[in-house]
Amino acid sequence: MANIQSQKWLMPRRSFLRGAGATLALPFLDAMRPLMAAGSSASLPVRIALLYMPNGVRADRWTPEGDGSKFKLSPILSPLEKHREDLLVLTGLQNKASFTGDGHYVKTGGWLTGTTITQTTGSDIAAGGISMDQIAAQQLGNLTKLPSLELGTEPVATGIDTNVNYTRLYASHISWKTSTVPLPCEINPRVAFDRLFRSRSKGGEKQAADDKSVLDLVRGDAKRLQSQLGQSDQHKLEQYLESIREVERRIEAEAATLGAGENLPPALLKQMDVLDKRISKAMGKASREEELNSRPRFDHGEHCRIMMDLQVLAFWSDSTRVSSFMFGNDVTGRNFSFLEGVNGGHHDLSHHSNDGSKLDQYEKINRWHVEQYAYMLDRMTEIKEGDGNLLDRSMVAFGSPIRDGNSHDPHNVPIVVAGGGKAGLKTGKHVHFDQGTPLCGLWINMLETAGVKAHQLGDASDGLRGIS
Amino acid sequence: MPVLRTLVSLLALPLPASADDFASTATPLLAKYCYDCHGEKKQKGGIDVHKLDSSEAALRHHRFLENIAEQVELGDMPPDDEDLLPSDAERTALVDEIRGVLAKLETGDFPRNPGRTTVRRLNRNEYNYTVRDLFGIDFQPGRDFPSDGAGGEGFDNVGDALFIHPGLMEKYLAASKKVIAAIYDDPKRLDRVLVAKPSDKNPPESAARAVLLTHASLAFRRRVTDEDLKPLLELFAKHLAAGDSYGESLRLPLQSLLVHPSFLFRMEADQPGKTEWPVDDFELATRLSYFLWASMPDRQLLRLADQGKLSDPAILRAEATRMIADPRAESLARHFAGQWLGFDDLREVSEPDATRFPSFTPTLRVAMYRESVEFFNHLIQSNRPATELIEADYTFANAELARHYGLTGVSGDELQQVPLTDPNRGGVIGQAAILTATSLPLRTSPVKRGKWILDTILGTPPPPPPPDAGVLPADDRSTEGLSFRETLEIHRTKASCAGCHEKIDPLGFGLENFDAIGRWRTKDANGLPVDSLATLPGDITFSSPADLKKLLLSSDELFLRNLCRKMLGYALGRPLEYYDEPVITELVAKLRKDDLKMRSLLLAVIESPPFLNRSATR
Repeated sequence: MANIQSQKWLMPRRSFLRGAGATLALPFLDAMRPLMAAGSSASLPVRIALLYMPNGVRADRWTPEGDGSKFKLSPILSPLEKHREDLLVLTGLQNKASFTGDGHYVKTGGWLTGTTITQTTGSDIAAGGISMDQIAAQQLGNLTKLPSLELGTEPVATGIDTNVNYTRLYASHISWKTSTVPLPCEINPRVAFDRLFRSRSKGGEKQAADDKSVLDLVRGDAKRLQSQLGQSDQHKLEQYLESIREVERRIEAEAATLGAGENLPPALLKQMDVLDKRISKAMGKASREEELNSRPRFDHGEHCRIMMDLQVLAFWSDSTRVSSFMFGNDVTGRNFSFLEGVNGGHHDLSHHSNDGSKLDQYEKINRWHVEQYAYMLDRMTEIKEGDGNLLDRSMVAFGSPIRDGNSHDPHNVPIVVAGGGKAGLKTGKHVHFDQGTPLCGLWINMLETAGVKAHQLGDASDGLRGIS
Repeated sequence: MPVLRTLVSLLALPLPASADDFASTATPLLAKYCYDCHGEKKQKGGIDVHKLDSSEAALRHHRFLENIAEQVELGDMPPDDEDLLPSDAERTALVDEIRGVLAKLETGDFPRNPGRTTVRRLNRNEYNYTVRDLFGIDFQPGRDFPSDGAGGEGFDNVGDALFIHPGLMEKYLAASKKVIAAIYDDPKRLDRVLVAKPSDKNPPESAARAVLLTHASLAFRRRVTDEDLKPLLELFAKHLAAGDSYGESLRLPLQSLLVHPSFLFRMEADQPGKTEWPVDDFELATRLSYFLWASMPDRQLLRLADQGKLSDPAILRAEATRMIADPRAESLARHFAGQWLGFDDLREVSEPDATRFPSFTPTLRVAMYRESVEFFNHLIQSNRPATELIEADYTFANAELARHYGLTGVSGDELQQVPLTDPNRGGVIGQAAILTATSLPLRTSPVKRGKWILDTILGTPPPPPPPDAGVLPADDRSTEGLSFRETLEIHRTKASCAGCHEKIDPLGFGLENFDAIGRWRTKDANGLPVDSLATLPGDITFSSPADLKKLLLSSDELFLRNLCRKMLGYALGRPLEYYDEPVITELVAKLRKDDLKMRSLLLAVIESPPFLNRSATR
């Protein structure tokens, strides 16, 4: 099959047309097809996905035995056996900036930024830096319909934690567009699906023109009003203006795709259709409108898997190249009694006090998360792309910003990356790093592998050695 | 120029170092005895005292002060094993200095400041209510917006914690389309919205001007300028010229109003050259309506603002009174009390285990939530004393909830006021929504409930547990022969835990007769009798919710102060600062003066300086 990346497919063809003159188009175009497909692997997009698991891991069941390519997966990681050649398990990494503050918020808020979040109940919410997914979105975002995708399963945690004086908002955000603008997760799969794939074919162009008129108008007014406000208020209006610019860019990108005809492969269209129906089934509502307007309350496993499928299809269709997903908010008390042998809430069980029964239940919850991760990897390896599969050029990281949840231990954080082998990651091994090696080093490896410039991130100025 | 520069540099000089006793007495002692562990380098327990270098700095960080004074006074700090310990005289000097600052804080004996609220985006609820009141659209077009995080005193209406990002902007755009479509799809609605139509005497341009002027004023909650109208009219004209009908040409300009910054943000203008000023009448109308209704000002408020009358104290009071009596004021119960007391969690967060608690049905969930809403709303609507939050001889229930409580004689799905004879049940402490929200999926949590009393009711949150504290079993069906309470007692014998838990846990033990979904019980999940005997430090004992409530009411200052603090925080939509403390003192005084009546508190908040004024600095 030809390259499925419709936009990329069309762009060189059109520029060729302009260059060579329309009269010569047809024969050359036919000749172009196989040529493009064969030679285009190098230019296939590289993607980054970050999967966040809350509340740490059972520390003695996480780390694989043995180093290098001869490693034995640990009990928690055992569901990944099938993908071991695609895995990079990394031991010894840490985010030094998270060694302060409290046991949760600092760790989660700064997971992808490598910085220390501001301890505040609200007046000066800040991560201290941009998260690595958003650095990628800044540089790759203009190539796709959406610069990035942020998904989750739980609404933003409300209130402030008066114990430690942090707004709980920090527990629900790993993606930071700027140091002071956190991006909330979309938790409704129907909304996320429509945002990615809804068809604008019916009167699409008129819609786009109307949207543009509205946005033009309010942008002008916002600029005018902004100048009349004090500084902190101006900052809020700047967020508004920036959002307008991005929505406009997206409308233009969509209009361009429409104009060119949506040239997606039938297999992808079919999968979209399947997912569309699965979402409706899972949500159990009478109409699409109701789905859009309801708070998802259904099987947690299916919810997570649908969110993963959305990322897979978003990558496959090249609708975005960057995604983050939170299995739950940090400190989530989600009741995991739906698992055999588990009786209690996640955060509660993470504080196991070294009690054997609780450790077992904690481990089961951890392994369940890895099973969902394995599901996503399964799906990605099933999808052909270029000379391999979708995972070959997608780096899917999975981890938690603390190790033992009982002590909120920020050293040697649990982290695995799968995929990206054909993009330049040296996978299929377990690597031990010296204690104190920055987690941000890994983020830099991933960014650079995706062609994103990243010279400094948190406490790292360079990628880790030996993995890319 | 030289003259000006001199003047400027003169003004820029720091104030003459007026005798700052704190800096000369307390700071050196803190430096000598505390900085090693609580200074720039180390902040053990999250406490950092090196910033306390002046009276003003001490005021700013007042939340730590009482804790520090107490620890120093009792000899808990510095710890005994330190080489360098302060003398008794030094301890006294430090404690006196700190308490002196705290006294100032209550009396307000320092330069005052009404504060400065960051521009507030409408939160999800406010957006829905505002669209409802603007266009009569009640299908909650903002339901798929992400929920908003909280700041300040714990509410989701704090500007600093309300962000805007491309995903939300897309949703605003989509929601605006839906709202406008709903108007255009219904001829009656459209007729109401198009307040002027073109005619022989009225050309389309001037009719459109009248329509847009009307709706923009309402949407922006202020007087509209020609600059505001110009782009709206241009868009109209463009479509009219392209052959669209009059009504159709107004569609996009009307839609723009719903995405407009003046609609989505509650902006307040600065007044150059002043340090503080009364907010203008429109800004006041907006503050008032979002406080009491979580929605836009109605036409009467805007009219009074337009006439410049709203800031007249008598008119302001009359309007506030009218608004409190309006059904829209139920938003106070839903959003203020729901977030303060935590029963809002029942809507989405609380998740009792379905197998263990089969009677916790979706309808019971709703009834529990409604009970707490209607109870709080009743306190306001019937102007009941604030202490009824702690103890009341009535509640609101429908048949299902009454069955849950073991009450008889209640039928139907509608909630109704029900008298209570059991002294344990009345007040928020006995409400199922709150008892459920402070439990875990499979068991009660005396610690969570104890913390809820200390933090939510009394405003004195316990410090965080040490990082390696460990936690209790998730299920109270113990397999080791120990009752749940015995397990908890073992946990408390750890020295690092005891200090706080001897204050927290007993408060929760006293509520152990309420199970994890708020039913009364005399036996726990293992079939053992519930042990609800609670002993607080100082040998205060009690063994039932009724006793606990008496205890809380016997000294109600902390509770009332906390209620006032939360109410002020919600009304202002910003984190409270040290300069708000004397305002809280005044609110408590006014509340007491008027027999603790809830309405007098609302009015006192509205008439307080920070509600009526704005400052150039934070």
